[in-house]
Amino acid sequence: MGGDHAPEEIVKGVAMLSLESPHIQTLLVGDGEKLATLLAKERHDPERIAVHHAAEAVAMWEKPSAALAEHPGASILVAAQLVADGAADALVSAGNTGASVLACARTWKRINGVNRAALASVYPTEIRRGEKDDPFSLILDVGATLDVTAEDLVTFAIMGSAYAARVSKNPRPRVALLSNGAEAGKGPPEIVEAHKLLQTATELNFVGNIEGVDIPRGTADVVVCSGFVGNVVIKMLEGVSETIVRLGKYASKEKILWRAGLALLSGGISRLKEVTDWEQYGGAPVLGFDRLFIKAHGRSHARAITNAAKVAAKAVQAGLSDDIETALRSFAARRAA
Amino acid sequence: MAARDEKDRRKEKERRNPVAPGGPSLLAANPPAAPAILPPPRHVYRWDLDKTYLKTEFDTFKQLLRSALEGAEAKQAVPGASALLREVRAGGGARICFISGSPRQMRRVLTKKLKLDGVEFDEFILKPNLRNMLTGRFRAMREQVGYKLPALLAGRAGLPAETRETCFGDDAEADGFIYSLYGDIIAGRVKRRLLEEILERAGTYEDDAQRAVTLAEALPTSEAVQRIFIHLDRRSPTSRFDRYGARLVPVFNYFQAAMVMHEDGQLSAPAVVRVALEMVDRFGYTIDALRNSLQDLLRRGRLHRATARTLADELTDDKVPQLGALPSARELLISFAARVRQLGDVPSMSIPLEAPIDYLAALEADLPRKGKKRTDIAPPVR
Repeated sequence: MGGDHAPEEIVKGVAMLSLESPHIQTLLVGDGEKLATLLAKERHDPERIAVHHAAEAVAMWEKPSAALAEHPGASILVAAQLVADGAADALVSAGNTGASVLACARTWKRINGVNRAALASVYPTEIRRGEKDDPFSLILDVGATLDVTAEDLVTFAIMGSAYAARVSKNPRPRVALLSNGAEAGKGPPEIVEAHKLLQTATELNFVGNIEGVDIPRGTADVVVCSGFVGNVVIKMLEGVSETIVRLGKYASKEKILWRAGLALLSGGISRLKEVTDWEQYGGAPVLGFDRLFIKAHGRSHARAITNAAKVAAKAVQAGLSDDIETALRSFAARRAA
Repeated sequence: MAARDEKDRRKEKERRNPVAPGGPSLLAANPPAAPAILPPPRHVYRWDLDKTYLKTEFDTFKQLLRSALEGAEAKQAVPGASALLREVRAGGGARICFISGSPRQMRRVLTKKLKLDGVEFDEFILKPNLRNMLTGRFRAMREQVGYKLPALLAGRAGLPAETRETCFGDDAEADGFIYSLYGDIIAGRVKRRLLEEILERAGTYEDDAQRAVTLAEALPTSEAVQRIFIHLDRRSPTSRFDRYGARLVPVFNYFQAAMVMHEDGQLSAPAVVRVALEMVDRFGYTIDALRNSLQDLLRRGRLHRATARTLADELTDDKVPQLGALPSARELLISFAARVRQLGDVPSMSIPLEAPIDYLAALEADLPRKGKKRTDIAPPVR
């Protein structure tokens, strides 16, 4: 069981989930004795929680491939296998991202028509979307597949759109390709080719290319890019947010007047923080497998874990995999025609 | 006309001196007539009522009012509670006693509810709240130690030392504390001075405290209280009860209690199955919920793995009889047994150590008191 605050915060999150969402059964995979001791300290409903013992775990700093080879009984491998065997419908983890994706790739099948899986992430935007007024847009891939083809990008777009439609209750999510210009011919060959395919061979609400500046604006609900670009983008966006917070703290130390100004704004800033808090979203999916994996942030606390599990349950109940498969079949048929 | 007068006189007598079917209240205003001589019970089962037997909500005034006014038909038992009591009764030699903080005025409706559930009992003690109010004993209306402890001790008086007891309470008030104290008083582990200090700190009225001390001193020493079950109505952390040792088992449902009682030799395997079936049939419990409940007990070290395996082995295709009202009862049980066998070997945590209970510390930690904030009592979200 991984994550910066594991297993304590994971157990707290699951305990909260058992009380808030009695329709969700959770299978906790990790050190059985430790989990039992932690559960005993929390208000929870054990009728909704089972524990599967796994003595080993992959640390956050370990190299994925070597770690899985070294720890064949690692909780992430055991959990992925349990999901493959049908003991659970989805996997949620806040642990080592690379090892988690690799464990899924080794034990699960890809959905028909998917060549590469995509790791998604969410980012708060100016414009909200869907019937739930969701402030988060979905960006994929952010690191699962570094080199992509045009076809992979179209697949990512289809998967991201299906996920946004089901989880954010946004029936026609706006899908865009991330490029260095809005024009159709801008960008590397795979982007140009994907642009053409998305326009002609899919039924998605494709709004064309967008630039980096459009991501925080919320011009698109689903932003599609290669894993390499996506990883750079998401880390830069996180870095910008952290820098703004640090600058704010610096400003408050510099002048009493600025501190007073920040104090006056504190209510609004708190509200903004609340609305855009990624812990409210919980986690982002790895799409493309026949089973669902929700990757919670490594820094996740209990609330984020609870929400990640709720997102997983919602996606499974909505039949996300079936939606993706149907859309991919339709894409293949239109392309062939 | 004469018959009507006689009926009215009987009603009035009942109102003044309410007597439960099967036995009188120990706190009744007038001493009851001597009962017929019966053989002493082998085992006494003492049950709290609200949140232990009945699903009652009285955290707000509105809920309290609704609970006081609703009829017997509207009251709901905690899943499995009535089946467990019926099984205990059917086992023979059991004396069933209810002790509740509900006012005596509710006796009729509560008795009717138990009758509707097919639960027989021998004793039903209710709190004299009206008398407390009229005599200005307002603290006694809320305080539980000064009410329940003397009542329990009075109930124990006259029973042979070898009669064992199992007590059922909940996590809403101080049942864990009171039952443990009761057990340790009978066992001779709580001396007079300590008892007096506990009662004083609990805010018990002097006459109630004196009565408790007198009753305690008259009892023969015996390890009578074998087991205490605390129904976690509020889903309190089980670690909250570690201070009371291994005798007290916090349970989330009565299937868990039935399993522990089976291991203790108080319930047969078919009786456990019937408790589980009622929970499935009448309360919509799933096999997963029962399996998880069983695993929870194993994880907490409150049940031996062998007991679960033995029960699962009993539930094979050729051994399971036609049980319960469910047409698919057999299939359900066989499926449940299969899930139990699949549970795997999850390591257990260590059970609380057997050490003398620090009642003064427990009193401070576990008794709801005015102005004292308890963090673990938020109502469960269901």
